[in-house]
Amino acid sequence: MPATDSYQGSSSPLTSFGRSILSIRRDQVPTMDGSHDPTNQELELETFQKQVAEQFNELSSAGPDELLSLSWVRNLLDVFICCQEEFRIVLFNNKGYLGRPPMDRLIGEFYERSVKALDVCNAIRDGIEQVRQWEKLLEIVLCALDNQKALGEGQIRRAKKALIDLLIGMLDEKESNAALAHRNRSFGRNNGSSKDQKNLGHFRSLSWSVSRAWSASKQLQTMAYNLSAPKANDVMATNGLAVAVYTMSCVITLVMWALVAAIPCQDRGLQIHFSVPRQFIWAPPILSIYERILEESKKRDRKNACGLLKEIHQTEKWTRQMNELLDSLQFPLSEEKEAEVRQRVEELKPVFGTLKDGLQPMERLVREVFHRIVRSRTEGLDSLGRGGGQDFLILASGLCKRMDFDGKKDGISDAFLAQSCRLFSIACRAPVSWEVAVVQHKVPDSHRCVAEIFAQKLPSVFLAYFAL
Amino acid sequence: MGDSDSTSNGGEEKLIAVARHIAKTLGHSDSMTDDILQIFSTFDGRFSREKLSDAATMHAASPAAALDDCLSSIHRQISHAISSDAPIWLDPAESSAFLDAVDDLVATIRDFTPLARDNQAVAAALDRAEDLLQQALFKLEDEFRALIRRGTDSFDSARPGSLESSDSESEDGLPVAHPVTDFNIIIDALPSSTINDLNEIAKRMVAVDYGRECSHAYSACRREFLEESLSRLGLQKLSTEEVQKLPWPELEDEIERWCNSAVFSLRVLFPSERRLCDRVFYGFPTTADFSFMEVCRGSATQLLNFADAVAISSRSPERLFKVLDVYETLRDLMPEFELLFSDQYCVLLRNEAMAIWRRVGEAIRGIFMELENLIRRDPAKSAVPGGGLHPITRYVMNYLRAACKSQQTLEQVFEEERERGMAPASSLSVQMAWIMELLESNLEAKSKIYRDAALSSVFMMNNGRYIVQKVKDNELGMLLGDDWIRKHNAKIRQFHVNYQRSSWNKVIGVLKVDNANANANAGGSLKDRLKMFNSQFEDILKTQSSWVIFDDQLRDQLRTSVSENLLPAYRNFIGKFQTSPEAGRNPDRHIKHKCLFLSFDLKSSESKRVVAKYI
Repeated sequence: MPATDSYQGSSSPLTSFGRSILSIRRDQVPTMDGSHDPTNQELELETFQKQVAEQFNELSSAGPDELLSLSWVRNLLDVFICCQEEFRIVLFNNKGYLGRPPMDRLIGEFYERSVKALDVCNAIRDGIEQVRQWEKLLEIVLCALDNQKALGEGQIRRAKKALIDLLIGMLDEKESNAALAHRNRSFGRNNGSSKDQKNLGHFRSLSWSVSRAWSASKQLQTMAYNLSAPKANDVMATNGLAVAVYTMSCVITLVMWALVAAIPCQDRGLQIHFSVPRQFIWAPPILSIYERILEESKKRDRKNACGLLKEIHQTEKWTRQMNELLDSLQFPLSEEKEAEVRQRVEELKPVFGTLKDGLQPMERLVREVFHRIVRSRTEGLDSLGRGGGQDFLILASGLCKRMDFDGKKDGISDAFLAQSCRLFSIACRAPVSWEVAVVQHKVPDSHRCVAEIFAQKLPSVFLAYFAL
Repeated sequence: MGDSDSTSNGGEEKLIAVARHIAKTLGHSDSMTDDILQIFSTFDGRFSREKLSDAATMHAASPAAALDDCLSSIHRQISHAISSDAPIWLDPAESSAFLDAVDDLVATIRDFTPLARDNQAVAAALDRAEDLLQQALFKLEDEFRALIRRGTDSFDSARPGSLESSDSESEDGLPVAHPVTDFNIIIDALPSSTINDLNEIAKRMVAVDYGRECSHAYSACRREFLEESLSRLGLQKLSTEEVQKLPWPELEDEIERWCNSAVFSLRVLFPSERRLCDRVFYGFPTTADFSFMEVCRGSATQLLNFADAVAISSRSPERLFKVLDVYETLRDLMPEFELLFSDQYCVLLRNEAMAIWRRVGEAIRGIFMELENLIRRDPAKSAVPGGGLHPITRYVMNYLRAACKSQQTLEQVFEEERERGMAPASSLSVQMAWIMELLESNLEAKSKIYRDAALSSVFMMNNGRYIVQKVKDNELGMLLGDDWIRKHNAKIRQFHVNYQRSSWNKVIGVLKVDNANANANAGGSLKDRLKMFNSQFEDILKTQSSWVIFDDQLRDQLRTSVSENLLPAYRNFIGKFQTSPEAGRNPDRHIKHKCLFLSFDLKSSESKRVVAKYI
């Protein structure tokens, strides 16, 4: 498996998932130009759509408390990875179509879309980092208020400072500058402490790793732009493959949109044109998720949220309430007030725990999504570039020439065996006997003798490759 | 810690000491009250101070009173500093007094805390103490932040052309960039005294569980500095899509800047940050590790994202050399990534760097694949006039020669593929042999466009000759091997033979006369043959005068071989003809081409002049 070994440690189940499917399908022996048994292909495409539908059905069945929770978003990412993996296999089994119109255009558009998704992934990674900064501030609040000692003014002050940093940090970027001034005025009113005010605004939000001009909102719009169901003749011409590409385009667009909805990122915005004809079996759950998130974003208290993630919402709400509570305190603290504060602290703990345990795995998943998209794209470009069976012909004729020239039959060099092995592995990633290739590509008779010798030598090479 | 520095407060200092002693004793004793009273009475006789009598009247509340005294003393010392906006770290005496007061406060709180459980008054006083400590710590945090900022500013202004920009004014006033050659320099990002001050503050903050705030303040400031340094190095923040859409010349410049920035960051900026972090948080390795990650994460990610975007972008062959630069830069920086980012917080960054480095390797292999496609798909539409060099031959050979200048890196790139089990032989030489194979089969297809078999051979000869010349005596030749070169020279000879056969053998055949039946040959009379020869020879001359042999040596070889075959036959024929009865009285009348004016023209592709007239 290329490229991703070093960071796959955490998500190896997914890797083995992909691998196992590949190995299951090996016995189907895909042919060189990828146009295997049409009924088989139909079945496969149908299975793919069904799987996408099933996965999203499960996601869309989440209750209102689950939707947009950290664990739900992680499920969403898992689902994406599964779909991506399935899609990869579909493409792999249908390589032969990729280079031909209209498939070349459709797959090209898909890859363009996926590059846009890569930027969303990077922006989301920044956003998760942002949330982790908030988690650290929550930790300070807990450190100040959740201890054995009686709650003193100092601890309250310490907690309050962290809370205010948190509130400012959580404001949507667009309004943060204006709000900063406003909050500075309104937060400092407690017991005339000018110090609180002075200490404000030290919490600088992290800068984004993308350019200032980059906008998640625009990115999503361009991803959704021209995302329309394939035309009947395209579907016909690609033997249905166009539908799979459309399915995956919708999946990737929805997933990226949902991530932007949930996680803070640069110039967030959810206005996209997203409509899917309901006749696709996966359309209802995907549309339901889309509509539910959209609805959530329109709720009054979520309109200006920096992210719809449940835990962010809870944190924000809690922070605001806690801030008000702390503002209202008179010292020395009455027992009931202290109990109230402690009660609130207890409320924070589960949210804090979820953030503490869930953010890093989520960040890794986002990264994994990134790597999967890149890999699938690279593989696609590779198989597009490989030029189908042409290489085998060149290989065969090259061998013929060489042998004619050398005048001996066993003149096949190791270099050629190595190269042919590479071609095989890139082109099919499955053991395909040379004879199959010869027959499939109508290798001229004169080349057949070479092919035979080749086939004799090849198994050992293949064994070496597939043993790894 | 300098308890008795100030004379006016001497008495109170002692009182604090007493109070502390009481508390310490109490901390380990069961019969607290007795002990307190006993100790206090001991001191009572030695200090007839109103405080102590107060304590006596307040009965058993004396620890609270003692604590009160301590607090008001400390409060007096630091309240001004706390409430003032003025920085106190400008004056060393002021700052060390402040730190001493904080130490005293912390010690007092520690000492009195065990008492608070049973003593309401002590507990209330401790609340105030905590509050005071809190305020002192806020002040410390502010001072900490201000020190870093001031330190950074002073550093900048003290060295206007500091290392980040690497520029200075030359004599004629133009800014000149000094190339950074020695990367074993680590900048002291802040003056040493500032670092010590910061460490003193950090020690206090971490000790009372304010490590998070401290680390937070630290990383926010340094992160900003680091990001600024990167942008001063000219590195832009670009998204993957922006990198994809950037015109190649601009991306080339950007890659160049990236390489320099990456080297400078990993060899100078990040190690400097690491050292600063270790010094500021000396004694607190976990806080140091965490803060370092917080400082560098964004910048490191920015650097890696760019490399990643380059790896993902277009694979067109002309990009090879710049992408190789990115690959080599990352490869050379891997030890630095290992060294700097190996702790628990940074290890993800290191893994990312490894993964992206590999991905750039993949991109290089992708570029070669694209080159293969370019060759494979180059259409055999129009023939090169005169059977000369095809542009694709020139392009591919010069490209490969240039690529092989980076042989070692390419070996590594293709070796990686082998490690993953893709190919069992030396991968780069396989790759090169494969590209040559593709080029040759493409050229063969192109040679078939010529209707004249001889011209076809000339085309193959020319291109074959060029290929062998380009391969000889360089890395490419070493990769392909002597055997390869030998075989290809043999191929050229074969094409030479083919040329000879298809264009001259027929003409020479006309001249072949058996001595025995010179007069009665199936080919007709000698005169007719001479006529036939003359016309065929002229045809060849006419046709081949526009053909091209680009290589002098090859042209000489051709000339020699043609003359070696043709001239003896012609001389022989003419000799026979002159002595034959057919020749008549004036045989020269029929001999259009005397031995000395047999001419054979093949153009030089360089000069387009007729260069060869021989015999």
